[in-house]
Amino acid sequence: MNLSARMRNLLAAIAYFAVAGIAIAYFLINEKFEWIPESALELVREKDLLERPEAKRCADCHTAIYDSWKKSRHSISWTSKTYIEASENRSKEKCLACHIPESVKGEKPSPRMDRRDEGIYCVSCHFIDGKMNGPYDLVAPPHPTYRNPEYVRSNFCGSCHQKTFKEWQATKEEDTCQDCHMPRTRARLTQKMGLNLLHKKKWVGDHRFLHGEISEKDILMETSFQENFFNISLLNKTVPHGVPTADNGDPRLYLYIIFYNSEGEEVDRTKEILAPQQETALPFNKKVDFRYRLFDPVSRVNIELKYQPAWSKEKELVWEKTVQP
Amino acid sequence: MNFARTFLIYFTIAFMMVLPVHAKDMVLKEPPKSLDQFYPPHSKQPKWTQQMHKLSNHFGGVFINLKEKDFENVDKHADKLVEEYKKTSEMVPEWEEYFDIKAAEAFAAAAKTHDMKKAGKASGGLGKTCGKCHAEQQVSVWTKYHWPSFHKIKVTDPSSEKEVEFDKFMKQISGSFKSMRVNFGEGQYGKAAKALRAFKSEYMELKSTCSKCHTTDDVKRFYVGGDAEKAFQGLAKELNAEKPNPGNFWKNVGLVGKTGCKNCHLTHRTYSMIKEVWEEK
Repeated sequence: MNLSARMRNLLAAIAYFAVAGIAIAYFLINEKFEWIPESALELVREKDLLERPEAKRCADCHTAIYDSWKKSRHSISWTSKTYIEASENRSKEKCLACHIPESVKGEKPSPRMDRRDEGIYCVSCHFIDGKMNGPYDLVAPPHPTYRNPEYVRSNFCGSCHQKTFKEWQATKEEDTCQDCHMPRTRARLTQKMGLNLLHKKKWVGDHRFLHGEISEKDILMETSFQENFFNISLLNKTVPHGVPTADNGDPRLYLYIIFYNSEGEEVDRTKEILAPQQETALPFNKKVDFRYRLFDPVSRVNIELKYQPAWSKEKELVWEKTVQP
Repeated sequence: MNFARTFLIYFTIAFMMVLPVHAKDMVLKEPPKSLDQFYPPHSKQPKWTQQMHKLSNHFGGVFINLKEKDFENVDKHADKLVEEYKKTSEMVPEWEEYFDIKAAEAFAAAAKTHDMKKAGKASGGLGKTCGKCHAEQQVSVWTKYHWPSFHKIKVTDPSSEKEVEFDKFMKQISGSFKSMRVNFGEGQYGKAAKALRAFKSEYMELKSTCSKCHTTDDVKRFYVGGDAEKAFQGLAKELNAEKPNPGNFWKNVGLVGKTGCKNCHLTHRTYSMIKEVWEEK
């Protein structure tokens, strides 16, 4: 056998063992991780991961989740201008627990003293009692991971979003907070080169914590004219909590009603503020009625519904309608 | 029986000594900056208040255990009291002079004789140090760390939808309230009805304002809750009627003023005024 043939055989053997090794590792990691001795895992553990690391450190492996979280309101819960203004330069005690939670675990958390600029970050939600927790039972060589079923339950989000959680509970709807605000896609939990090939794709929640869009399909309206009164009914048909909702923020729906006479001149205008802090948010599947006295003859009413999130001074148009007697 | 009476007398004397002794003229000075570190957001918990509770518990613990003849715990509380007292004396340098370590040690020594009379007598010197600080500082500390600065609060004016100063908003809401009353008094019910609309939306906006500090909805409902809501419904009913009933109208005006305006002013205004003076400096 000449040298090049030997070399070819050697390379083929290396390739064979490499593929076999990856296949065995893939099988063990994804199917039989309980077979892997703890002593072997200890050799590859990265101890600092269990010392409340910064979010960037988690991004070494969980890059996609980190990138999503970076776009979320959670990531700026301590640094956002709205929060700083509303909390009188972060001096309000009541805000601390949920804007810089130490460890979220189904009840109101305690505030933390370290890494406050990271807001509600990886460690806040996944590091509980000294262990890394998540929704899956799996082996992650750099740190031990524990499956915690709370991650797919609304109760977990209710640690801070307590009022919204209670509103949702009262609706008896099955869709959880995570179903709507963390929609899942099949993806890998890690993007670290090499490790990503060893992990099967799983259902991964969107860590941007999406804020639902509301439209004409969600908020229905009925109107009627009755002698010298004009009546409006609004119905939150699809969102299984108050619209809008917040524990301490102040999101609002503004309902503008403008009355015109037959000449097209404005004769009166009024508005309603639908806001959780005023206890006027639209409850799920329950009509809310408004009644207005007409001081002058009216031939047209223009009605607009606009939404203003808690963190913005800008309003978005939800819908606009015109009705006539 | 005699022992119980003696205990009660000494405990009452000791308790009274740690209560503030107010002079007729009270000067409220802003607490020193160094105290900030013991209150949120600089600390997780109101540590200073917790420290006061510790001192109070150990002080009370001595007498309770003397009464129960649990002398082991008397000694423990006496030692802990001295330890915590020393620690407290070092927390706020500006207040160091309020503390008398010798008085604390003398009290602990007296407590350890397990003689109620001796402990009661020795508690006087220690209690006075607490009482002096409480008399001079307690109201200021409560005002600074437990009451909001209303003039810093911004309110969304429901009409312009812009944020305005709280004080300005109060003048505005007072104006709308007056406009409704004056127009009604003049028999201009249509104008009064429009003024009610503005007044009600401004009044309800205060619910959002309460939420800027209070986490429990019951607090805001006390001022702007069901009673106020009923009064507004009563006002609207009269102003939408063909012939409004003045008796019902003025009764509801009174209810709105009493449930919301008066209750809130009585609770919050004094502290807000003190803070405003401090912050004007």
